Amino acid sequence: MTAPLVEVEQLQTYFPIRRGLLRRVVGNVQAVDGVSFSIARGKTLGLVGESGCGKTTVGRSILRLVEPTGGRVAFDGLAVRDLRGRDLRNLRRRMQVVFQDPYGSLNPRMTVRALIEEGLIIHGLGSARERVDRVVRAMERTGLSRQALERYPHEFSGGQRQRIAIARALVLEPDFLVLDEPISALDLSIQAQVVNLLIELREQLGLTYLFISHDLSVVEHVSDEVAVMYLGRIVERATAAALYAQPLHPYTLALFSAVPTVDPARRRRRIVLVGDVPSPSNPPRGCRFHPRCPLAESVCREVDPPMVSLPEHAVHCHVAARELARSGGNASVAAATIAALLADRATPPTATLSPG
Amino acid sequence: MIERPPHPRLSPPPRHAPLLAIKNLVTAFHTPAGRIPAVDGVSLSIERGRTLGIVGESGCGKSVTAMSVLRLVASPGRIEAGEILFSSGGTTLDLATLPEPAMRSVRGGRIGMIFQEPMTSLNPVFTVGDQIAEAVLLHRRVSREAARARALEMLQLVRLADPRQRLDEYPHQLSGGMRQRVMIAMALACDPELVIADEPTTALDVTIQAQILELLSELRARLGTAIVLITHDLGVVAETCDDVAVMYAGRVVEQAPAAELFARPRHPYTIGLLAARPSPGMKHSGPLCTIPGMVPLPQHFPAGCRFHPRCAYARLPGAESGSGRVVPLPAGELPCNAAVPPLHEVAPGHWVRCFHAESLGPPRSAQEIAAGGLFS
Repeated sequence: MTAPLVEVEQLQTYFPIRRGLLRRVVGNVQAVDGVSFSIARGKTLGLVGESGCGKTTVGRSILRLVEPTGGRVAFDGLAVRDLRGRDLRNLRRRMQVVFQDPYGSLNPRMTVRALIEEGLIIHGLGSARERVDRVVRAMERTGLSRQALERYPHEFSGGQRQRIAIARALVLEPDFLVLDEPISALDLSIQAQVVNLLIELREQLGLTYLFISHDLSVVEHVSDEVAVMYLGRIVERATAAALYAQPLHPYTLALFSAVPTVDPARRRRRIVLVGDVPSPSNPPRGCRFHPRCPLAESVCREVDPPMVSLPEHAVHCHVAARELARSGGNASVAAATIAALLADRATPPTATLSPG
Repeated sequence: MIERPPHPRLSPPPRHAPLLAIKNLVTAFHTPAGRIPAVDGVSLSIERGRTLGIVGESGCGKSVTAMSVLRLVASPGRIEAGEILFSSGGTTLDLATLPEPAMRSVRGGRIGMIFQEPMTSLNPVFTVGDQIAEAVLLHRRVSREAARARALEMLQLVRLADPRQRLDEYPHQLSGGMRQRVMIAMALACDPELVIADEPTTALDVTIQAQILELLSELRARLGTAIVLITHDLGVVAETCDDVAVMYAGRVVEQAPAAELFARPRHPYTIGLLAARPSPGMKHSGPLCTIPGMVPLPQHFPAGCRFHPRCAYARLPGAESGSGRVVPLPAGELPCNAAVPPLHEVAPGHWVRCFHAESLGPPRSAQEIAAGGLFS
């Protein structure tokens, strides 16, 4: 096991809420609140969760596109939060990002060549001729032809635009890519092409990915490890195989069961959660999931659940902790018990009032 | 086991009059760049109380089909040909030619609608209660008080929390899932016989999507409303629809009962779509199956079968198929780029628009196909 390339410890990113004439801070949106993980070189961590859970903010905090308010981020041994000026710029060359919407993330007035070359110019890399060579090489890697050089983004389909965005990130020869919902805006038949490209590039170039997505099956396919976020926290983290085979957190189970599937054999009994995700400006005390959790007990309402760790699996849940202790740390036994408990408790919500 | 009939029929069997029958619908947009046939000869029907899913990628014409039924196709688009027969209250109306005033009483009355983005389809300056009551007042001769009472009743029906309080709130005060419940309440307020839902859960998170889909199927069972569900999500269709139509480039390419379609897909496009999704547990079996190329734009629809440039089975005279493979053309067979394959029945109720659906070998499940790597 090599040293991790990216290490995040107790990352905290709050956005102040300002009100009134003096713009006084009256509260905080706790977008990310105590997130820890590490990614080994050449590996992929998948980050899943629903909108507003903070997964995008985690990615942006690592890149310092937003300033974290607390915690530690280390990249290849460098303390990312302490870097300034030239050091930060040098670091940023090694960490790149691909955003969700290739329609919004590419400047429509720039040619493909200018878009991809921009990073090289900013970082002062290469002569004009070398830059063009590097642009063409990056384009070839992502399956774009040289003919595209002087064309504009609107001339391309969504899938090709996403290839341009990937080429733009790759041209700087980074070590680490934050992929923020890179395929969500694409058509189904194109998604598989881009997923294959990303995996191929990772293998050829030894890249490390933080793959942020709400698409659970794509995340499983791409990732070595997967972390599930809820309301600013990671609730469960495990190797992809362990997480999908033995989910331990009730939220993970509910999330998996909510995904519609075409395969009747894979269909899980649906656990329909009641209500909406609470506001991150005023998260519930205790376990943040307790207001929607069918298994919530009194301890869940009071005490923030600590992390319980197994070799390939970590979970923050009082019920899971108890079941793991009971089964002597056997995740598959504990997972089966929790699934059975949920199936018992999660009766479909009854109609409150039923007018004919 | 379903046996294939010896002679495939070429038109759907006559049944008792369906609630809605779309026949050879053509809807085109007339732009400076030319005529764009977004919907090009679509025939579909839906029975009372059933759910029909229309799936396809962006630009396949699924939304334009729905908009045509509601006659909401905006200029420069217009319905150029075909019939949209809506059988309601003992009479059959052709919505394709119905005069606008009569159409207005159908739209929102006997046919309800739910759109994708509840924030943009709800009016931000009116309260939720006013908006639902307005729909009722438009179609029913009732007092304001009765309309408001109906609005409250509908909010209770869609199980919005604190319905009495929500009645006087504005859309921005509600979450996405709550707004979609309001949209559903509005669509159902006039007891429609048919609800057209265009991507009703696409803007929602999966756990909220699960709530809304559950609500829709519960309401369908209770009220007997037929639903046309338009989506790009095959899983949503598989779990909520009785029948499925797959659209590609303005045409229906495959239609079957949902269980049959997903267990035994027959059109190469449907097979390709199903195989392109990573299925759990196949992580280390190599790259995902992909469909080469991209969805054609309506101004560049290919001749013949519109899927042939991307199809691994396309049989072309000497030319290359999408996969780069050349499949020899047996004598007497039409090349895929020469003629439009008819939609024909390959198993009871299972219709496919492909010349080679029969010769593709025994129907297999998408999982087997994915594992076997049919497309690569």
